[in-house]
Amino acid sequence: MTITIQRGEVVEVARGSQRRYAVPGMGLLDSLGVVWKHWRESFRQNRDFSDIHGTFTEQYPDERPNLPEAYRNMPILLYDDETGHELCTSCFQCQRICPPQVIHMTQAKDPTTGKAVPSVAEFIIEYDACMSCGFCAEVCPFDAIKMDHHFELSTADHASLTVYKQELNRPVSYYQSIAPTLWEEAKAGAYKKLQGNIKRRPDVIGIAPHLVDRIAARRAELAAAAAAAPPPPPPATTPAAPPAEARKLTPEEKAAKLAAIKAANASKQSGATPAETPPATAELSPAEAKAAKLAAIRAANTAKQAGTAPAAEATPAPVDEKAAKLAAIRAANAAKQAGTVPAAEATPAPVDEKAAKLAAIRAANAAKQAGTAPAAEVPPAEPAPVDEKAAKLAAIRAANAAKKAAAEDNETERN
Amino acid sequence: MLKTEELQINIGPQHPSTHGVFRMIVTVDGETITDLKPVFGYLHRNHEQIAEQNTYLQNMPYTDRLDYFNSMANNQAYAMAVEQLVGIEVPERAEYLRVMMVELTRILNHAGALGFLINDMGMWQTQLAFGMREREKILDLFESASGARLMCNYFRFGGVVRDLPPDFIPRLKELLQAMPAFVDELERLLRENEILMQRAEGIGILPRDLALAYSVSGPVLRGSGIPYDVRKAEPYSVYDRFDFDVPVGTVGDVYDRFLVRIEEMRQSRRILQQVIEQLPDAQGGHINPKARQNVRPPVGDVYARIESPKGELGFYLVSDGSGKPYRYKVRAPSFINLTPLGDMCRGYKVADVVVILGSIDIVMGEVDR
Repeated sequence: MTITIQRGEVVEVARGSQRRYAVPGMGLLDSLGVVWKHWRESFRQNRDFSDIHGTFTEQYPDERPNLPEAYRNMPILLYDDETGHELCTSCFQCQRICPPQVIHMTQAKDPTTGKAVPSVAEFIIEYDACMSCGFCAEVCPFDAIKMDHHFELSTADHASLTVYKQELNRPVSYYQSIAPTLWEEAKAGAYKKLQGNIKRRPDVIGIAPHLVDRIAARRAELAAAAAAAPPPPPPATTPAAPPAEARKLTPEEKAAKLAAIKAANASKQSGATPAETPPATAELSPAEAKAAKLAAIRAANTAKQAGTAPAAEATPAPVDEKAAKLAAIRAANAAKQAGTVPAAEATPAPVDEKAAKLAAIRAANAAKQAGTAPAAEVPPAEPAPVDEKAAKLAAIRAANAAKKAAAEDNETERN
Repeated sequence: MLKTEELQINIGPQHPSTHGVFRMIVTVDGETITDLKPVFGYLHRNHEQIAEQNTYLQNMPYTDRLDYFNSMANNQAYAMAVEQLVGIEVPERAEYLRVMMVELTRILNHAGALGFLINDMGMWQTQLAFGMREREKILDLFESASGARLMCNYFRFGGVVRDLPPDFIPRLKELLQAMPAFVDELERLLRENEILMQRAEGIGILPRDLALAYSVSGPVLRGSGIPYDVRKAEPYSVYDRFDFDVPVGTVGDVYDRFLVRIEEMRQSRRILQQVIEQLPDAQGGHINPKARQNVRPPVGDVYARIESPKGELGFYLVSDGSGKPYRYKVRAPSFINLTPLGDMCRGYKVADVVVILGSIDIVMGEVDR
C-alpha cells in the first residue's frame, strides 16, 4: 500500500530508549524535575496564555468569571426600558426552531375585538430541558429573545425551572450591559420594528407584566394632575385616563359598552338623522374607538348577510356579554332591513319594524342588566305599532343606559 | 501441578477507568487475558433516531453531544455533509475559521487524552492537570467565539455562526507561543519515564494487517504504521494549502499511539500558524450570506468525512426531499477503534486492559450514540 502525501511527509516517531540514561531511574528523576518546577511556580498567578506555569484557579464565588459577550446560557426576553413594551411579537420562530422543543407561547388577543395582536400573552421556557444552543436568539427577527449570562440556576425546586414570561423578562439595558457590541449591532433594527408593533398593540397589551401596574399608576397620576389643573383641561390632554380605567373593566361592563356602541352604530345605519345618535365615540379611548368601529363593520356585515342566513333565533344567550352582542347585531339587522329591504324571510318575527323594536329593547335590557345578572330571558315582545323611530329611540336608550352604568362603575372604582 | 481454570470477570460498566459506562467481559487465566469482549450500549440515547425527527439545522447542537471533547470537529463533519447534499458554497474565510477551530480541537483532545492515558496508568492526575490547563485556554477561546466551552454549536451551513471576536487572534498567538513549551514539557515528563515505558512499551500491539481489517482510523491506525490521514488522502476544506507531516508509529503499541499524539499536537500547531498567516487574505465573510439554514435538500445521499482527533468521523445522510433527514448515520471513530480491543488485549495482563483502553482514546458519547 502506498499513500502519497503532498506538502508534508510521513515521519516515523522516534521511540525513546531507557538506555539513554546510564543509571536506571534517571528518566523518572528527570520527570520529577518537571513536577518540581510546576510546584515551585504554583505560588504565583498565571500571567497570560503564553505562560504555562502558575495557578489558573479562579476564586469563584468571590471572583466572578469574566464571561465573553457571546457567552450563552439560557434564553431571556427583552422589553424596552422606557415604555415597558416587550420586543416579542409571538411570531413562533423560536418555538419552531427549538431543537428540544422547550419554548411555548400563546399570542395575545385584543380583549375588545378578539383579534390577534403582535404581542405575546404567555411565554414559557422549560429551562430544565433547554440545551442552550442559542438558535432561538439567532432566528428571532425582532431581537426579542437573547441568551443570558446568568448561570447560577441551581435550585431544589424543580418546578421553578419552567419559567414564565414574568421571570423571563429583562430590560434592554440589562442585555446591553452584558453584551454591548452585540446589542449595538441589533439595536436600530430592533427599535424600529418595536415602534411598528406598538402601534398595533391596544392599551397595556405587550407591556411587561410587572410594569403594568406601574404604568397604570403613572397614567392615573397624569390624569389626576390634568384634572386638578385650574384651567378646564381640554379633552386632548387627558387621553391617558380612559385606558387605565378600560383595563379594569369587568366583562359585564365591557359587554354593556359594546352593546351601546353597536346599538348606536346600528341606529346610525338605519338611515335616521345623525343628530339624534348619542356621541358615543367622542369620549372613547383610541382602543375603544377602534373596537366601536370594528363592531360597526361587523354589524354592517351581518346586516348584509341577513338575506341569506337566519339571523335571529330567539334563544336567550347564557351570558350577558353574548346576549348584548346578539341583541346589537339583531338591532343592526332589523334597523337596516327596516330602512331598505322589506320583510326578511329569515326572521321569524311577523313584521320587520317589530323585530327592530324587539332587538332594541333587548339591547337596552341587556345593557341595563349587564352589571348584575346574566342577561336574561327577554320578555316576549308584545305586538306594538312600531316604526323606525321607535327602533332608533330604543337604541339611544340602550346606549345611554350602558354609558351610565359604565360611569357609575368608574366612580365606584375611584372611590 | 496446580489445577487452574478460566475465570470470567466484568470490568465495568461502572468503573472509573472505562471512560464512561462501558463493560468488558474479560476471560482470564490467572492474570493473563485469554479473551475480552467489549459490550457497548449503556449510553445509548437514540441519537440517530432523534436526528431523523429533527430538521437538518436542529441536529447541529445534537452533534456536539456525540464526542463532547471535540464538538467543533463533529460540527464540521455534519455541516460538510449537509453542504454537499444541498450544494452550499462555503466562503474561504469560513473554511479557515473551521480549520482553525478543528485544529484547536485536536490539540485540546490530545492534551486531554494523554492526560487520561497517564491517569489510567496510575499516575493519578499530574499530567491530566497539566493537559487540562492547556485545554482550558483553548476552551476559553472557544467560549469567546462560539459562546460555549464544550457544546460549541459554532458551525452553520455555509460557514460559522459569527466572526471571531477582536481579541481572539492575539490570544491564539499567545497560546501557540506557549505550545512548544507545553509539548516539550510533556515529553520530558513522560517520554523517557521508566514507569511509562514499562506500562506502554510492547503493550497492546495492533498489527498493521489487523488494523486495516478492523478499519480503525486516526492515531490508532497511524500508531500501527499506516500513514493514513483523511486530511492528506482526501483533502477537504482548505487542508491542501497547509504543510504538515503525518506521524506514524513502527510497532503499534500503546507507546506508539502516545508518541503519535504528541507529534500530532506539534503538527496542529504548524497548521494553526499557517492559518493565522493566511487568514487575513482569505476572501468572503464568516458565512455564505445566501446559504439558507432551513434547508430542504434534494433527494439523494451523501457521505462526508473528516479527520477528527479520534479518527475518521463520517456522516451519512439520506434525504427524501423533506426538511428532515430520512436516514442519519454517524461513522464514529471511537466506536470503530474500540472493536479490536479484544485482539489488542489478548495475551496481556488484566492491569494492561485499562491502559490499552486509554490509548484508544474513546468517548462513550460517541461510541453508543
